[in-house]
Amino acid sequence: MIDFTLIFRILVFPGFTFILLLTLFCDWLERKLEARIQNRVGPMVAGPAGILQPLADFIKLLTKEDIVPRDAKKTIFKFAPLVAFTIMVFATCFLPIDGASVLSASGFNGDLIVILALVTIANFLLFLSGWASSNPYGAIGSARVLTQFLGYDIPLSLLALTPAFIAGSLSIAVIASSQIIPFIILAPWAFVLFIITMQAELEKDPFDIPHADSEVVGGLETEYTGGKLAFLHLTRDVQIVFGAALVVELFLGGPYGPVFFGFPVFWYSLWFVLKLLAIVIITEYISCVFARLRIDQVLSANWRVILPAAILSLMLTVALVTWIYPMVV
Amino acid sequence: MPNNNIDIINVIETQLKDKVQIQLGQLGKAAIVTNNGLHRDTLKAMVEADEKTAISAITGLDLGANIGVYYHIRTSNAFLTIKAEVPKDNPKIQTITDIIPGSAFHEMEVADLLGVVFEGNPSPGRLVLPENWPEGVYPLRKDFKANEVKLSPPKEEAKLPDEVKLVKIIIGPQHPALLEPEKFAVTVDGETVTKVEPRIGYVHRGIEKASESRTYLQDVYLVERICGICNSIHACSFVETVEKILKTEVPPRAKYLRVVTLELNRLHSHLLTLGHAGLEIGYETLFQYFWRDREPIMDLIELTSGNRVYSSLMTVGGVRRDLKDSDIPKIKSTLSELRKKLPFYRQIYEDEPSIKARMKNVGVLKREDALKLCVVGPVARGSGVDIDVRKDEPYEAYGEIPFKEIVYTQGDTWARMNVRMDEVEESINIIEYAIDHLPTGPFRVKAPRVVPAGEAVNRVEAPRGELFYYVKSNGTAFPDRVKVRTPTFSNIPAFLKTAIGENIADIPPNFVSLDPCFSCTDR
Amino acid sequence: MANIITWARVKSPWVLHFNSGACNGCDIEIVALLTPKYDVERFGVKLEPSPRHADVLLVTGGVTQQCAERLKRIYDQMPQPKFVVAIGACACSGGVFAGCYNVVGGVDKVIPVTAYIPGCPPRPEAILDGVVKLLNALSPPKPKKQPKQEKPPGLPKEEAKPEVAKQEAVAPQEVKPTVEEAKPDAKQ
Repeated sequence: MIDFTLIFRILVFPGFTFILLLTLFCDWLERKLEARIQNRVGPMVAGPAGILQPLADFIKLLTKEDIVPRDAKKTIFKFAPLVAFTIMVFATCFLPIDGASVLSASGFNGDLIVILALVTIANFLLFLSGWASSNPYGAIGSARVLTQFLGYDIPLSLLALTPAFIAGSLSIAVIASSQIIPFIILAPWAFVLFIITMQAELEKDPFDIPHADSEVVGGLETEYTGGKLAFLHLTRDVQIVFGAALVVELFLGGPYGPVFFGFPVFWYSLWFVLKLLAIVIITEYISCVFARLRIDQVLSANWRVILPAAILSLMLTVALVTWIYPMVV
Repeated sequence: MPNNNIDIINVIETQLKDKVQIQLGQLGKAAIVTNNGLHRDTLKAMVEADEKTAISAITGLDLGANIGVYYHIRTSNAFLTIKAEVPKDNPKIQTITDIIPGSAFHEMEVADLLGVVFEGNPSPGRLVLPENWPEGVYPLRKDFKANEVKLSPPKEEAKLPDEVKLVKIIIGPQHPALLEPEKFAVTVDGETVTKVEPRIGYVHRGIEKASESRTYLQDVYLVERICGICNSIHACSFVETVEKILKTEVPPRAKYLRVVTLELNRLHSHLLTLGHAGLEIGYETLFQYFWRDREPIMDLIELTSGNRVYSSLMTVGGVRRDLKDSDIPKIKSTLSELRKKLPFYRQIYEDEPSIKARMKNVGVLKREDALKLCVVGPVARGSGVDIDVRKDEPYEAYGEIPFKEIVYTQGDTWARMNVRMDEVEESINIIEYAIDHLPTGPFRVKAPRVVPAGEAVNRVEAPRGELFYYVKSNGTAFPDRVKVRTPTFSNIPAFLKTAIGENIADIPPNFVSLDPCFSCTDR
Repeated sequence: MANIITWARVKSPWVLHFNSGACNGCDIEIVALLTPKYDVERFGVKLEPSPRHADVLLVTGGVTQQCAERLKRIYDQMPQPKFVVAIGACACSGGVFAGCYNVVGGVDKVIPVTAYIPGCPPRPEAILDGVVKLLNALSPPKPKKQPKQEKPPGLPKEEAKPEVAKQEAVAPQEVKPTVEEAKPDAKQ
């Protein structure tokens, strides 16, 4: 028997379509916010207040001519962007959005590690896509992606372990649901560090080295056109949504919040989206008020500051969980 | 403490007595006519006597049987010209790059456009003309015919092997960091720059040649279009040079009105660069803010001249348009609005950690190097070299207007940007003073269309530094030779030097701190 | 479906700026378009770093000999459908530099041009107006509500040369009728 609920959950809500729409909305929100901070109005004419702008960009790119450069490594060049996008959406599906993850029964102890691994794979595919384009700018841009995410993956994983320790589980669903007091209150230092690391992992200012167009033109996207470019853009946008969602799950209590009436599913989704937008706004604000750092500065910031701080944060958490919290809670 | 009171003419007279001929009062303070070979000795004597001796320009001109090579030299307190001539059938002259390293580009340009061979120049080759330009055709010689030039088909760009491709990055001609098409081949070792090879000339339009076939009045508008950013200063310098030949005295009101226009120009140019620097270091918000505050200045330019970009206000004998009294309150209120915003920007440059990380100690140009490479303008002033033509050799009304000369000593990108930041404030002061002390009377005098035979040089301080003009007239309505040396042309060697050994990510901020303008450089 | 595609194209023109030997006047005005006073992002216009991403190529300058080859290459690198806008008097015809020994004189001598925006330099409003007109020419004609394209007061006249526009029609099917739409404009 075909399970229609499952298909609906995968394809429409909270699965593919919902994630896609949320991504496009966040893209619009970011552009609008950036424009407002910069004293501009941002997209205006595509739909009310320009809300359809990301959709217009996406459709337009899909219908443009698709060029594969002569020197490119063709198979990787063609498929890497699409596969990276798929993996990112797949990783997002593990997050409980309306109280349960997309595949309701898929949550298991350890899925936190799985999605972190998936993100790494997606980043690696992005690197491959830039490298396959055989363009010096693409090569430099993707080498920078690789350098940056390899460096920041370690503190990110360490910091993700902090909530896991407090909750005593490696399952995202358990971590999210065990936050009667959100972990942002129990471990604020970890939250701050996590946001900064996330900013670097998502390649946003002041860490957007791979996208520095005054240095590397379009970075790994330089040679891409049409649909493949559309999926590269989308991958990046899904990454941002995913990053924000992860923060929500780990520190802000996930989708859980007060249920006033009716279905809890509705309220859970609402809380989730609201918390997610708050995080998106914070990260976008940070990226607007800083200049871009240099790659060596970014790396030394990682190894000298962020990584030791992440280790300290983990030790502090272990100590607190073992000795202090049992007394309080 | 450097001695600023050297009598350079005296030095030359004592050292090279009877060997050179000194014509006082011509082409600057004096023109020194040297026989072949002695230009080097003269220059050596000058460099030894005065550390601030620098090359302003080398003018090459077709004198019929001979080609004249004029070295325009600035010292700490004077401006001189060393004249040398070479026969046209064997145009060879000794290089001066070993005495003044900053003269390499100047020599290459004369070699390119007039075919003078500078023996010993370290990098002979094309500078402004295309690679496929025919051999033995020199556009600035009088026998050159533009319609007979046949370019050989462009060579296929040699395909670099993969391993070379990754260490040699070609920046340009189309690149987001450059608004203009220029090419820099940057060799990198990892992320460290080991070599920068420039290839300029993508914007070379041949304006110096074109100006010879247009009347003086048409040339005012032609030279204005050398650069769309610092346009008024080009027009101003050209008309000043022509006025020197004509011996026309400009009425005082025109002098003040010119100052207002030039300073408005400087304001918009500096705000543009300060914002552009933000773009280069990925600080888009700063870029947007600066350009937002630049727009009112553009409105002022439109208010005073009728056009947003090209003011076209300068003309031989004065300005073309008077300032209306009813416009003065608007100018004043706009300027004081801008002045109120400056502390905010200054604070960003002082306190913002990511700006400091990207600009401090980036592209450090030491004072000795700045002197050696003959840099001008904010680049020199950011390295502690106090040269500003407005102070050194006041033109227009600058001698009567009090203002500060901004000098920073750090020599890095941050210092160069801060020089501009402070100059924005000085420019506001100058405009306000000029408007308050505007003399009454006519704003232009009638000048003849035909200019008597003669030659003159002129220096002004453009937003990017010292701008040099040389005009030679032959008694007709058309000039015989117009030579323009723009500030960026002098400043590029500084970039080539400071970029080496730095991170590749430092190239954009370092480069933009010179405020490069290639349409000026190539002409 | 075709309507949606046209809508997307009209609403999302990504531009690439190429200076083919201009004096910086037009170029600075193009950059000024991005800034708060004009803010072309309202119309979905984005300045892209790579020719591969662009839909519209904004060319300034009278095309020097060195730039001609490069301009052609950048045009070839752009994916279809693509449009070229010549900005400024120099890009339209060579301007004051027509006849100079190193200037080809006009973008249309090298690549097909869809729209011309004269002016020295054109005001940012004029550039904006030109790009928007070009895009509106893409939309399928609405039989009744065809407003007469009038010349905005004080702004330079817009032109679209039909013979050049036809070369442009290598573009896919949807665009073809719309480019010819620009024809009556030239007769004004």
